Amino acid sequence: MMVDFNSVDFLPWLVPVGPLLAFLIISLATNRAKPEPASSLVYGGFRPPYGDLGVPVATSWSRILSITVGISGVVMSLLVSWRLVFTATATKDFGEVVFGSSVDWLSLGSLPAFQMGVLVDPLNSAMLFMVPLAVLCIFIYSIGYMAHDPRQSRFFALISLFAGAMLTLVVADNLLLLFVGWEVMGLCSYLLIGFWYEKDTAYKAAIKAFTTTRVADVLMLLGIAYLYAETGTLSFREILYNPAVLEALAGKEALLFGGFGLSAAGLIGIFLVIGTIGKSAQFPLHLWLPDAMQGPTPVSAMIHAAAMVSAGIYAILRMYPVFAAGGDPHHGIFTAPLLLMAVVGAFTALFAATMAVAQNDVKAVLAYSTISQLGFMMAALGIGAYIAAAFHLITHAFFKALLFMASGSVIHAMEHGEHHAHEHHAPAHGIGGGADPHDAHSHDAHAEHGHDAHHDAHDSHAFDPQDMRNMGGLDKKIPVTYWTFLAGGLSLAGFPLITAGFWSKDEILADAWLGTTEGFGPHALVFVMLAVAAFMTAFYTMRQIGLTFKGEARTEPAQHAGLGGQYDIISQTMQLPLIILTPFALFAGFVGVPKDFPIFGSIFASEHNPFKYFVIESLHPVLHFEAPAFNWFPVLVSFAVALGGIYLGYRMYWVKPLKAGEEDPMIKILGGDLYTTLQRRYYMDELYVLLFVQPSQWISRQVNEFVDKGIIDSVLHGIARFFTWVGDLTKVLNAWLIDGVGDGIPRWIFQAGGWLRGAQTGKVQQYLLVVLIAAVVIGVIFALTAGAVTAQ
Amino acid sequence: MGEFNVWTSLPAVAPEIGLTILAAVVLLLDAYLPKEKNRARNIAFVSAVSMAVLALTPFIWAPAPNTSELFWGGMVRHDALGQLFDVMILLAGAITVMIAVDDSGVGRRGEFHLIVIIVTLGGCILSSSADLVMIFVALETVSIPLYVLAAFRREDNKSSESGLKYFLFGSFASAILLYGFSFLYGLTGSTQLTAIAAGLNSEIVSGNLVAVLAALLMVIVGFGFKISAVPFHFWTPDVYEGAPTPVTAFVSVASKAGSFAVFMRFLIEAFGLPAVSADATSTLVVIDGQTIQTFWVNLLTVFSILSMTVGNVLALRQKNFKRLLAYSSIAQAGYTLMGLAALQAQSAIGQDIAMASITFYMFMYTFTNLVIFAGIILFVEATGRENIADFAGLQRRSPWLALAMTIGLLSLAGIPPAAGFFGKLFLFQAAVEANLVGLAMIGVLNAIVALYYYLIIIKIMYVDQGIDEDKPLAMPRSYAWVLGITSVVIIILGVIPTPIFDLAQQGAAAVRLAMGS
Repeated sequence: MMVDFNSVDFLPWLVPVGPLLAFLIISLATNRAKPEPASSLVYGGFRPPYGDLGVPVATSWSRILSITVGISGVVMSLLVSWRLVFTATATKDFGEVVFGSSVDWLSLGSLPAFQMGVLVDPLNSAMLFMVPLAVLCIFIYSIGYMAHDPRQSRFFALISLFAGAMLTLVVADNLLLLFVGWEVMGLCSYLLIGFWYEKDTAYKAAIKAFTTTRVADVLMLLGIAYLYAETGTLSFREILYNPAVLEALAGKEALLFGGFGLSAAGLIGIFLVIGTIGKSAQFPLHLWLPDAMQGPTPVSAMIHAAAMVSAGIYAILRMYPVFAAGGDPHHGIFTAPLLLMAVVGAFTALFAATMAVAQNDVKAVLAYSTISQLGFMMAALGIGAYIAAAFHLITHAFFKALLFMASGSVIHAMEHGEHHAHEHHAPAHGIGGGADPHDAHSHDAHAEHGHDAHHDAHDSHAFDPQDMRNMGGLDKKIPVTYWTFLAGGLSLAGFPLITAGFWSKDEILADAWLGTTEGFGPHALVFVMLAVAAFMTAFYTMRQIGLTFKGEARTEPAQHAGLGGQYDIISQTMQLPLIILTPFALFAGFVGVPKDFPIFGSIFASEHNPFKYFVIESLHPVLHFEAPAFNWFPVLVSFAVALGGIYLGYRMYWVKPLKAGEEDPMIKILGGDLYTTLQRRYYMDELYVLLFVQPSQWISRQVNEFVDKGIIDSVLHGIARFFTWVGDLTKVLNAWLIDGVGDGIPRWIFQAGGWLRGAQTGKVQQYLLVVLIAAVVIGVIFALTAGAVTAQ
Repeated sequence: MGEFNVWTSLPAVAPEIGLTILAAVVLLLDAYLPKEKNRARNIAFVSAVSMAVLALTPFIWAPAPNTSELFWGGMVRHDALGQLFDVMILLAGAITVMIAVDDSGVGRRGEFHLIVIIVTLGGCILSSSADLVMIFVALETVSIPLYVLAAFRREDNKSSESGLKYFLFGSFASAILLYGFSFLYGLTGSTQLTAIAAGLNSEIVSGNLVAVLAALLMVIVGFGFKISAVPFHFWTPDVYEGAPTPVTAFVSVASKAGSFAVFMRFLIEAFGLPAVSADATSTLVVIDGQTIQTFWVNLLTVFSILSMTVGNVLALRQKNFKRLLAYSSIAQAGYTLMGLAALQAQSAIGQDIAMASITFYMFMYTFTNLVIFAGIILFVEATGRENIADFAGLQRRSPWLALAMTIGLLSLAGIPPAAGFFGKLFLFQAAVEANLVGLAMIGVLNAIVALYYYLIIIKIMYVDQGIDEDKPLAMPRSYAWVLGITSVVIIILGVIPTPIFDLAQQGAAAVRLAMGS
């Protein structure tokens, strides 16, 4: 590797450097925060409920420093990444030619040295375009969102590390470095979800996210180790761009379950897919993600859009040839990992969409929608729609980042409104008790729908700024948020032709339909389930927008909602990223328009589908496949599900907006039981507590009882008893000696004490004696072994 | 060896010459510098900077690549391994002088720095000696000044006692070592190590297996004392605790690194390595049909297991930080012995990794241990207490000091990204290459045990509430530099270990080829 800042082969090293340096500088330089008792002055009345705790409050210079350093780090990444991306798009045959370099990192004895390096190829160029942009938006947004938080510099340090880890993962040229980024992100997500760790729910959510992903990561590590054992390398290019290696992997019987016809590639693939199931929150390891909402909203945007969950799908895209080795989904030959992905993905997409329909928390809807959309990508990968999945990953990141930040802005506005309302009505509120209709309403709701852990945190507040039932009519209060939210929402719903979400979803459905026409079962399954899920997506998005923004304000805080003055730094930094992301959420789809799509094809893809043409080169030419020919049926289905869902939601929540004190019409339609079941996530949390948490607690208790208290303590007690016994014996002997022999003995003991006091030198002789004895013993052993052998 | 040419021979002892001149200069400074406040401090800076600069000489007058030549009548070798050991001993000397500056007992007296320079000189000779006489002279050049240093705080009984103990134990070990040397000379009529190997392999010695084994045993006992391997470790905790802290720091790294270097050379050169391929000659010493190597590798395997286990288990119960580090250093010696046991590997790569892993381990251990000792000196100087519990809340009192010590402790525990991770990894790898998987497993288990007492200290520094938390600790600038540089070196070695390890591996290959194996 040559250090040359003009060489595109060296530049990838610099991509993650900015945020990582920012993390170091912020965490090392701003450690002088002074603990101060928390007061509403410090927080400006905003979240979180720190109570009376003393909190180290960042001084204003450390706030400014952390913001400046954090943003500069990301800007540096953005510039380097985009330079690489634009050079890449201008490079002929990019894909055959890649940018990257590596160093001998670790000599491994008789094996060749492990190479550590970076790589930019078409697939991660797409990521390098999206990730730094989304991250920069999130950083700008955080300035406003965290402006009143006492631990703001800590937040910027952690989120910088998060971004650095994500970028490391993206530019890695081997699975080990990818895994390093993966794990660092796991750590950051733990620290950031639990950022407000004074809140009980927040730290529980953090632990849940960490342990759940850990389970998956261990299996993924097994997969990596197995791959390394089989191939002797973890470099992407050496494994994935090399059909011979893939063939060997596919032809070899797996270590486990080999008898069932599983190949080594299959087993490795399954392990890696499980890692992704954890990271990208797919069924059955999806439970951590809705809870991850406990973190500050920019973190949710980071986890759900730009980084964490995309990393899971990215890893699969990266390793795709291994999953497909030995199979060909385009001709109906599925390998075990592909089938696993198709089934898990399709199921999760639908399953999460049903839960999203019944959520009342504005962020929870988006959380389930993320799970569902990731399911789309998983399913697409399972049926071989590699390009479609990559495309959806990028478009989804844009509109989901937009939606999360917009919902954070909604929450912020509501908190602002609540603060405002309190200032005006504090005495009345205090005396009147349940005078506020929303108070009674939300308590009723809790009584009716059971005790939802997610709403726990706000019980103390009695008012939940995230509950959509408390909102309404916000479109007039925060118009910028409304219009951007609408743009993002329509994109998520797949509004035909003009939104990015439509094009990427349509491509997945087109691929699935093609397989279905040829009679492949998995394709048909994916097609049906995804079509239904897409319908529900459109519906719950409209429901969310209707509940949040339409009609009249249902509560007092909603009436006073707002982001502060027009020229306020908070409102500006929180709205700017929304405006930046909106065009991407709407129009990013045009880079992936199929060539033979009527009208649009001729405008945006006169020669070929540009996104496909570019990204497909990440795969070895042997694995290239043709895009499905244009077919009216899937396009019509896309139109129908998107417009149908949008229309239904429009009818139910826009035309007749919810009024204060009214019940969600969903409850009547679905019936109370089903609605509650959906809202409580099919009781999976309770099931997991019963299946995993309680047994492990039981085991810990037993270990504590029997091993610790029983065995270890009894041994210790035994020893103690022995020494007490020796002590007693000595006492008896002493008494006997003193009694028996008389006065001579005390003098002797006194002398012995003196001798012992001076025995420090005596001890050396004792030491030396031990050495001599050891030497003699060894000598004897030597002589005996030597003699014994000689005698033979 | 060829004709003696003083100019080609000089580079082999370049650092030693530099150190001798430096010693004379410091002696003069100490004698004639006017008595003012900063006198000792200035002497210390001169010594430290000079030693750090001298640490470059092994690179300027580097040995010819892939050779391990004999110079000065077969007295010293000039090769990459010796070069690396010279560098680490010189840097250890420089850092010791720097961290002793503010120690009220030792650093403020000029002669302290002079003695450190002389020990460093001895260590440099030791790491490349190739002759029994040279080894013994170098060993004593290291030991005798260290006895003086251990007892340097004359007014302090503990220091005097520790000096006396160290002296008694050391002279006893030297005597045994010398006795072993005399056996070898008597049997072979030579003091040069490779000549001894040749002599042992000839007809003269046949029938004298037991005598050779006795000599081997005595040599191992002698070196075992120096590297504080169990069961010759008894002096370590007492001396570590009693001696002035900068001296303890120096004993724990410089003397140990030099001794490991010469121990490794002695075993390889006098008793040989197995042949690595069909056309290479085995240099192993075989007497009466018995390979001597079998005896010492088995013995060292046992010592390795004993040292690791005893060191770690006893360290668990320590309350005094310096005593804990004493037991930890015994355990670390145990890990390093694993590398010596791995010299029995039958492959070229295996033997190279065994030698290189010892070198790398000592290299990273030098920085790691010194950063922790620097922290202790700073802390003890400010508070006068050295129990582990006294470090509670250190993070609030001095965040940078706590961070530096954390890096050091993580490195000792072998956790990435600190250098100790690769140190252990390479040693375990060497053991595995030599088919000593069981030994490597015991090493891994021991590393887990050790994790406990290292992490406890980090926990105490960061989590526990101390009584003096509101009193910040001042950090003098010289310490800030030393702590900063050593911590950064530890991290760099832990992220990019390859350059040093590759150099060590080349040096190892050169030694192996020079043996003809």
